[in-house]
Amino acid sequence: MLAAGAAVLLAIVVAIGVAPPRPAGSGAALRTPRADEVIAAVRARAPGERTARRQAAAGDVAAAARIVREDLALARRLGDPRYLGHAKAALAHWADQLEPPPPLGLLRATVAQALHDFAGARLDLDRLLARDPTDAQAHLTRAVVALVTGDRSTAEADCAAVTATAGELWGAACAAPLVGYAGGGPAGRARLHQALRHAGRDPGVAWARTALADLDRQLGDEAAAELGYRTAVALDPADLYTQAALADLLLAAHRDAEVVALLAEATADHLVLRRAIALHRTAGADARRDVDGLRARFAAGAARGDRLHQREHAMFLLAIEGQPAAALTAALTNWELQRELADARLVVATAVAAGDRAAAAPVLAWLRAAQIDDAIMAADRAALEGQP
Amino acid sequence: MKRAVAALALVIATATPALAHTESDGYLELVADGATVTGRVDLGARDLDDALDLDDGDGQLRWDEITAATPRLHAYLTERIHLRARSGDCRLDFDRLGVVERADGAHVAVTLRAVCPGPADPLTVDYRALFDVDAQHRGLIRFTAAAGTTVAITAGTPVTLVGGARPSIRSFLTTGVWHIWHGIDHVCFLLALLLPAVLSRRGGRYAPAPALGPVVRDVLAVVTAFTLAHSITLAIATMGWFTLAPRIAEPAIALSVAAAAANNVWPVIDGRWAVAFALGLLHGFGFSSVLVDLGLPGRALGPALFGFNLGVELGQLAIVVGFLPIAFAVRRTRGYRWFVIVGSAAMILVAMHWAIARATA
Repeated sequence: MLAAGAAVLLAIVVAIGVAPPRPAGSGAALRTPRADEVIAAVRARAPGERTARRQAAAGDVAAAARIVREDLALARRLGDPRYLGHAKAALAHWADQLEPPPPLGLLRATVAQALHDFAGARLDLDRLLARDPTDAQAHLTRAVVALVTGDRSTAEADCAAVTATAGELWGAACAAPLVGYAGGGPAGRARLHQALRHAGRDPGVAWARTALADLDRQLGDEAAAELGYRTAVALDPADLYTQAALADLLLAAHRDAEVVALLAEATADHLVLRRAIALHRTAGADARRDVDGLRARFAAGAARGDRLHQREHAMFLLAIEGQPAAALTAALTNWELQRELADARLVVATAVAAGDRAAAAPVLAWLRAAQIDDAIMAADRAALEGQP
Repeated sequence: MKRAVAALALVIATATPALAHTESDGYLELVADGATVTGRVDLGARDLDDALDLDDGDGQLRWDEITAATPRLHAYLTERIHLRARSGDCRLDFDRLGVVERADGAHVAVTLRAVCPGPADPLTVDYRALFDVDAQHRGLIRFTAAAGTTVAITAGTPVTLVGGARPSIRSFLTTGVWHIWHGIDHVCFLLALLLPAVLSRRGGRYAPAPALGPVVRDVLAVVTAFTLAHSITLAIATMGWFTLAPRIAEPAIALSVAAAAANNVWPVIDGRWAVAFALGLLHGFGFSSVLVDLGLPGRALGPALFGFNLGVELGQLAIVVGFLPIAFAVRRTRGYRWFVIVGSAAMILVAMHWAIARATA
C-alpha cells in the first residue's frame, strides 16, 4: 500500500515535471520584420480610384457614385465588410444632408442596409420613395429592410410595386420570403416557377432561383432546394448568400465532406464558419485554424460592438463551442435586430439545445401570429411547444 | 440579406486574395505616469495602405515600403491623434515602428510618448485616424493610470478617460490564493519543507516524532519563515526598490525547490525554518512578477500588496491543513520515511528540469 502511495506521488511529480514551465516575463513585444518581408496583401487599386476618392471627398457626385458602387461590389464578392466602411467614407461629404443628390441617397441606403443600420436605410428609402414612387430599386431595397425588421405590410406593398415597375420575376422573388406566411407557400412557389419560365436571360434569374430554393426548403422539399441553389451558384458564382444557403442545406443533411469541398476556397467569415462546422463535425485536423481564426475575430468584433456577425456568432457558439446557453443569448440579441425566418430558426434551435422554452416564447408567439409553417424547424418547434 | 445589391451593381474590380476579416480597428494603448504618457498605436497594415498609399502597386505590402514612409506616417498620426490633460494639450511624439499580429492580420505599431503640462489622469483622447478612408473604423483605447485601467471605443469623437476604479483587495486576495495553487513550484517548495516535519532526526536517521506539539511548532516555524521572507522581497520588488529579472528569478526559484528537497535526502541544515527563510526570499521576487503582469501601476499599491499576500498565506494554510493530519497519522510507518526520501529525490529531478528549461527559455 505504501509503495502504491509512493508510486502515486512519483506519478504526480513526474506529471508536474512534464507540464511546461511558466514563461519568464510577459508582454508580446513589437516584432521588427526583415526589410523585404511581406506584411500584408493589399488590393491593387484601379487606375484613377485615388483621384475619384479625392473628388468624392470634395463633393463630386459622379465620382462618389462610382466609388460606392465599386466598394459595394467588392464587399459583396469578397464578403469583406471593410469595403462598406470605405463606401460610407466616400459619402461623408453628404453625411449631414437629409436628401443627397441622386443617386447618392439610394446608395447611402444600400450601404446602411448592408451594415445592418436598418433604421438609417429606412429613413433614406422612405424619403426617396415619397419623391419618386416609381423607383424600383428603392422599393426592392425597402422591401428587404422591411422584411428584416418585421414590417410585413410595407414589404408586401413594396414587392407589389417592384412587380409593377421591374416586372413579374423581380416581384415574385421579392415576395417569396413573404408568401411562406399563412400557408401561401405552394402558391408562391407556383408563381416563381411561372415567372422563371418566362424570364429568359433576365439578370434577376439567379436571385429568383435562390428565392425559390429558400421557399422549397421551407416547404420541406430539400431535393428541389439543392438543385435550385446549385443552379443559382452556377449562374452567379460570386453570390456568397446562396453558397451559404447551400452549405446550410448540406450541413442539415450531415453531408459534411461536400460542405468542405464546396467552401474549400472560401474566405468570407460566414462561409469559413460553415466550413469550420463541417470540419469540426468530422474531427478534421484542419478545423483548428478556421476555429481559432473565427474565435479571435468574434472576440475582436465583440470588443468593438460588432453587429454584422451576430447570426454567425450564435451558430459558432452552438455548433463549435458547444455553449448552447451563450448561443441562445446571442440568437436572442440577433432577434432584436433581425427578424427573418433564419433568425427565428436560430432562436428555436438554440433554445432546444439549451433546454430553455421560456426564452424562445416570444419567437414562438411571433411564428404563431404570422402563421408560419417551416419544415426546417418543425421538429424543434414541436419539441419546444410540447413541453409543459 | 444582401440580395438587393445584386440588381444595383455589376462592377468588375481587380481580384486579390482576401484574408478573413473583421471591420477595421485601431488600438491605442496609453499608460499615464504623472504628466507623461507612454504607449503605442496599432493600425491595420492594409488600412494604412488605403490611407497613405504605401504599396508600390504589386499588391504585396513589404516592410521597407512601410518604413520608407515613416515621416509621412508620423505626420499622419500627429495630425489625427491628440491628447489633452486637464491642464492643457500634451506634446505627442511618435517613434519606433514594429509589427503586431492581430485577429485581422498584421498591424503596424508605432510607439508614442506625450508630455502634458500637468497630471495626465484624467486624459482626453482625440483619435481621428483612418475615419476618412473607412467610416466604420473604430478606435479601441486602453488607458492605464495609477488607479487602474479603463477602456473605451471611439468613432471619431474625443473621449475623456479616467484611470479605472481601484480594484478591490478581495480581487487581489483571490489572485494570491490561485497563484500559490497554480504556481506548482511554490507548492513543491512548501511540501519539501513540510515532508520531514512529522519526523525527527536521531543520529542521522529519521524517526517518527513522538507528539503533535513539537510537530506543529516546527510547521509554524517553517511557514512563518517562508511567509516573512517572501513578504519582504515582494514588498521590495513591488515598491520598485530592487527587482530580480524573471529570467534570473524563475530558474533560481526552481533551484530553491531542488535545494530544499536535497536537504531532506542529504541533511545539511537542521533548522528547516532557516532554509525556508533564505530561499523564501527568492519566491517573493517570483510573486512580484505576477503583480506586475496584472498591469499594476507603481503607486496605490498598498491594498493590492496586502490583499495578494493575504491570499498567498491563505492558500498556503490550506495546503498545510490538508497535508499535516495525513502525514501525522502515517508518520510511524516505514513507508512514510521511504516516501520522504523518494519523494524528495523526485522533486530534485523535476526542479532541476524546470531550472534548465527556464534558464534556456
